[in-house]
Amino acid sequence: MSSLICPRQSLTFRARSYMAFAFAPQPPIADWLADLDATLERSKGFFAGHPVALDLSAASLTPSEIVELVASLAERGIRVLGIEGIEPNEAMPGLPPVLRSGRGAQEIEIPEPASASPAPAPPPQKQEPASLLIDSPVRSGQSVVYIEGDVTVLGSVGSGAEIIAGGSIHIYGTLRGLAMAGASGNSRARIFCHRFEGELLAIGPHYKTADEIEASLRRGPAQAWLDGNTLKITAMN
Amino acid sequence: MSDEKSGRVVVVTSGKGGVGKTTSTASLGAALAHLGQKVVVIDFDVGLRNLDLVLGAERRVVFDLINVINGVAKLPQALIKDKRLENLFLLPASQTRDKDALTEEGVAKVIAELRTKFDWIVCDSPAGIERGATLAMRHADSAIIVTNPEVSSVRDSDRIIGLLDSKTEKAERGECVDKHLLITRYHPWRAARGEMLSIDDVLDILSIPLIGIIPESEEVLRASNVGSPVTLNAPLSAPAKAYFDATKRLKGEQIAMHIPTESRGLFNKLFGRKAA
Amino acid sequence: MNLLSLFRRGSAPVARERLQILLAHERETRDQPDLLGVLREEILAVIARHVAFDPDKVQITMDRGSTVSTLAVDIEIPNRRRASGAASQQLSQLAFTARTATARSQWTNGLV
Repeated sequence: MSSLICPRQSLTFRARSYMAFAFAPQPPIADWLADLDATLERSKGFFAGHPVALDLSAASLTPSEIVELVASLAERGIRVLGIEGIEPNEAMPGLPPVLRSGRGAQEIEIPEPASASPAPAPPPQKQEPASLLIDSPVRSGQSVVYIEGDVTVLGSVGSGAEIIAGGSIHIYGTLRGLAMAGASGNSRARIFCHRFEGELLAIGPHYKTADEIEASLRRGPAQAWLDGNTLKITAMN
Repeated sequence: MSDEKSGRVVVVTSGKGGVGKTTSTASLGAALAHLGQKVVVIDFDVGLRNLDLVLGAERRVVFDLINVINGVAKLPQALIKDKRLENLFLLPASQTRDKDALTEEGVAKVIAELRTKFDWIVCDSPAGIERGATLAMRHADSAIIVTNPEVSSVRDSDRIIGLLDSKTEKAERGECVDKHLLITRYHPWRAARGEMLSIDDVLDILSIPLIGIIPESEEVLRASNVGSPVTLNAPLSAPAKAYFDATKRLKGEQIAMHIPTESRGLFNKLFGRKAA
Repeated sequence: MNLLSLFRRGSAPVARERLQILLAHERETRDQPDLLGVLREEILAVIARHVAFDPDKVQITMDRGSTVSTLAVDIEIPNRRRASGAASQQLSQLAFTARTATARSQWTNGLV
């Protein structure tokens, strides 16, 4: 049986930082989970879809207790992005990866619903799709991160600048930097630009660097989208 | 007796080194002074001072910006008056290695005092995006972004433009620093052959208004050699005229942009005369 | 010095001469305290022992040359009404000029 030997392409690895909520459970875990449930009662779905990091440095759980905790959180619609505060040997297969060197940000206030009286939960409002509009060029070195939805730029995106969106990215100008759409896992996100001269395009985990993108697409309008697991980039006319 | 002024702070910056910030600061400062304005030029390059050299004042430096910030000297004692233009003053940079001595509060106080005494305060920024550069731009009302028609200079200028929109007091107040593009080292010959980024290429990428195009010229080098800004040393030369036009635009005048063209080439080359 | 002849040869010699003077001074003072700076401080201290003056009213100018450097100290001193000892001078301005002579790049300690 012969196998095709494909020429190896060199991989480029980049570091990326994201904002995540950090949960730091204190023992006893059952009580902590009860407190969490009370919070979720007041603000349903607050954490849904948001990456959450689990800081277990105060908890000292056994590996099986960690598995149970992650499962309990999953039942509540909370997906754990990674775990910090444990030794690598405590991490079991199937658990989220161990995180290092997290940087704390400010405390986050969980908003209470407007009505203070114990009224039944108000009917779910129709959510407006969230979208960020930037009406000036994005300069080299600037970084726009908007996990909540689409990003639209009225201007160009400079070389060395990056746009990271949970939804789609629309650039009414020249893309010279990086565009990463669907960062929250939305595989239907797309990238559109008036003129493509970019360094990297990504939708979710699938990316292509400038080298891997057909030269004929440069200098013209282009869109990128996912076809299954393949990132497709075509000219727009 | 001094009448209170309310000076305008202009930062001359670029990101990339060696593109012509110091030359431009000196040339524009001298042009403004020649046009009757009271001007102070400040060198923010701690440890590698240059502005004094380009102005020919290197032998007269007694006190510098850091001496003033530290209280070792008062501002009037540190200011060096130009010998040729009575409206032009220089506040030199320090040659010490103590970059941390350049404090935000210190610079703010100096700039505030200078605003009351001068029509124009022109800050010569060092290259890079570190403390000297961010402090030079911090109090700017306007910025002149000096750019060569060359890829790394253009990218660095873009970076600096981004910083002007975030690291300045004006940006923090929600206002905008006026940005002006000054293209330097322009070679009409290379541009015509498509070997150099065109003005339009640079404008398209940076998207800020153009304040001037300074052609590459031996006159600039000559001026630096003798320690006199080109606008003073050779005021009728092409670069000097371009700097004067840029100065007038900075003051708000509408001047049609002149794109430097090739000199009357072959004839002059044959007879050994160099066109300005 | 005939400037015109310098220009006929090009501006590079002017640049060279300026640099030689400047760097000679900068190399000399890189690791040692600046002689003129020290003089300035000590002169002001001596004068302060005899007469009170406003340090803000002191103007110091310097001109470093290839063979001779000049330090000029200009101080405004209030007039005294009564004479008192050796320091009774009715001065309104004390201008002090110090010249130091150099041999090439060597500083000497003498005041000319």
